[in-house]
Amino acid sequence: MSGYAEDPRRCEMVQDELAELALGILSGRNRSEVLSHVESCSLCGAELERLSVVADALLQLAPEVQPPLGFELRVAERLQADRIQPEATTSPRQFGRVAFFATAAAIIAVLGFGLGAAITPGGGNSQGQSAAANLTTAKLTSHGHVLGDVMISAGSPAWMFMTVDDGSWPGTVTCAVTYAGGRVQTVGVFRLSSGYGAWGAPLSSSAGQVRSARLVASNGTVLASAQLSA
Amino acid sequence: MIALRPPAVLLVMRRSRRGDEGDASDEALLSGMAVGDERAGLIFVRRYQHRVFGMAVSIVGDTALAEDVAQEALIRIFRHASVFDARRGSVSTWTLTITRNLAIDALRAQRSSPTDPGAQVFLQLISPDRLPEDAAVTEDAVGRVRTALENLPVDQCRAVLLAAMCGRTAAEIAHTEAIPIGTAKGRIRLGMAKLREALEIEGAQ
Repeated sequence: MSGYAEDPRRCEMVQDELAELALGILSGRNRSEVLSHVESCSLCGAELERLSVVADALLQLAPEVQPPLGFELRVAERLQADRIQPEATTSPRQFGRVAFFATAAAIIAVLGFGLGAAITPGGGNSQGQSAAANLTTAKLTSHGHVLGDVMISAGSPAWMFMTVDDGSWPGTVTCAVTYAGGRVQTVGVFRLSSGYGAWGAPLSSSAGQVRSARLVASNGTVLASAQLSA
Repeated sequence: MIALRPPAVLLVMRRSRRGDEGDASDEALLSGMAVGDERAGLIFVRRYQHRVFGMAVSIVGDTALAEDVAQEALIRIFRHASVFDARRGSVSTWTLTITRNLAIDALRAQRSSPTDPGAQVFLQLISPDRLPEDAAVTEDAVGRVRTALENLPVDQCRAVLLAAMCGRTAAEIAHTEAIPIGTAKGRIRLGMAKLREALEIEGAQ
């Protein structure tokens, strides 16, 4: 690269377009001509770098806006689907469940629980503990049919994650856990979408105190339950 | 599923979108994503979702379309993380550029010709409430460019913002502003030159 281009008049000619090149709005022949000149002219190259700093700073002015609720989960689902699409053996709802548990695992890790266990939704026994002994999983069942998964992570506080992926109940459900001694905590009230839902929430007692979890309809009917200890 | 009230887990995500997921740098997360580390991808999504969605909705103006754009942008970043080249710019610039381009494409696919948003819409793109963590990283350049924009003549400010944020070419700006193309190019050049000057002068102080 030399200082001035062979024809300094070219520098004047591209001045207008350096800004457009930096902004990414120059295309076609103009773009290639300006790029070609910049390759051979250090002064215009330096000017382009300075203008690019301005263009980058302008992009950073975009406002931060809270995405719609569930956005992160939907992206996680797509990431998961993207990765396992070649096998294509999992149903869309299972993608959601896998993604949810992947998200839950990430959250647990973020919260510093130090879990090393892989979380494999849909696998294993109806109740079990992870190799790391910090994670308890159980099936959410109704009349012997498995309708979802429950995962309790030890920690301070303990967290519960639940997925429902085969429910036939539309609308609102209450999620509650029962602790040793009979105390009941309402974890939250959630809306199912076509029988599907996933959520997570902290618990008020330790994971070892959790005896069962259940989903209750708005009329008080127990829709499904999970046993988390003998 | 939509919870009646935001699940606590989401609140945690919002609180922790900076810093405590990791002190992992953006570049480190992209490196993880490049080898298929889904957790790195989730942390990246959590870190950038507000900026990506903010950029998308500012350009397309429709929440549903903006979500499609934002999702697609994050997926593409995950897919192409391996080609990111730190020598050519920051992760945030790369991310926002991808988002911006997808938003422009989406908008153009919906409309036969670019619309003419008012200057006020784009002036509002100047976010007054950036997070302190952002400020620590970009306060100098972004703060100064924001101030400099406010001091530009309105027509130059409009031309620069239409080009930078909406990817409008000089010809498109000329059409929507009903001005000769030479005038549009001049506004872009003068506006950018003043912004560059403002950054350099204040940077030197």
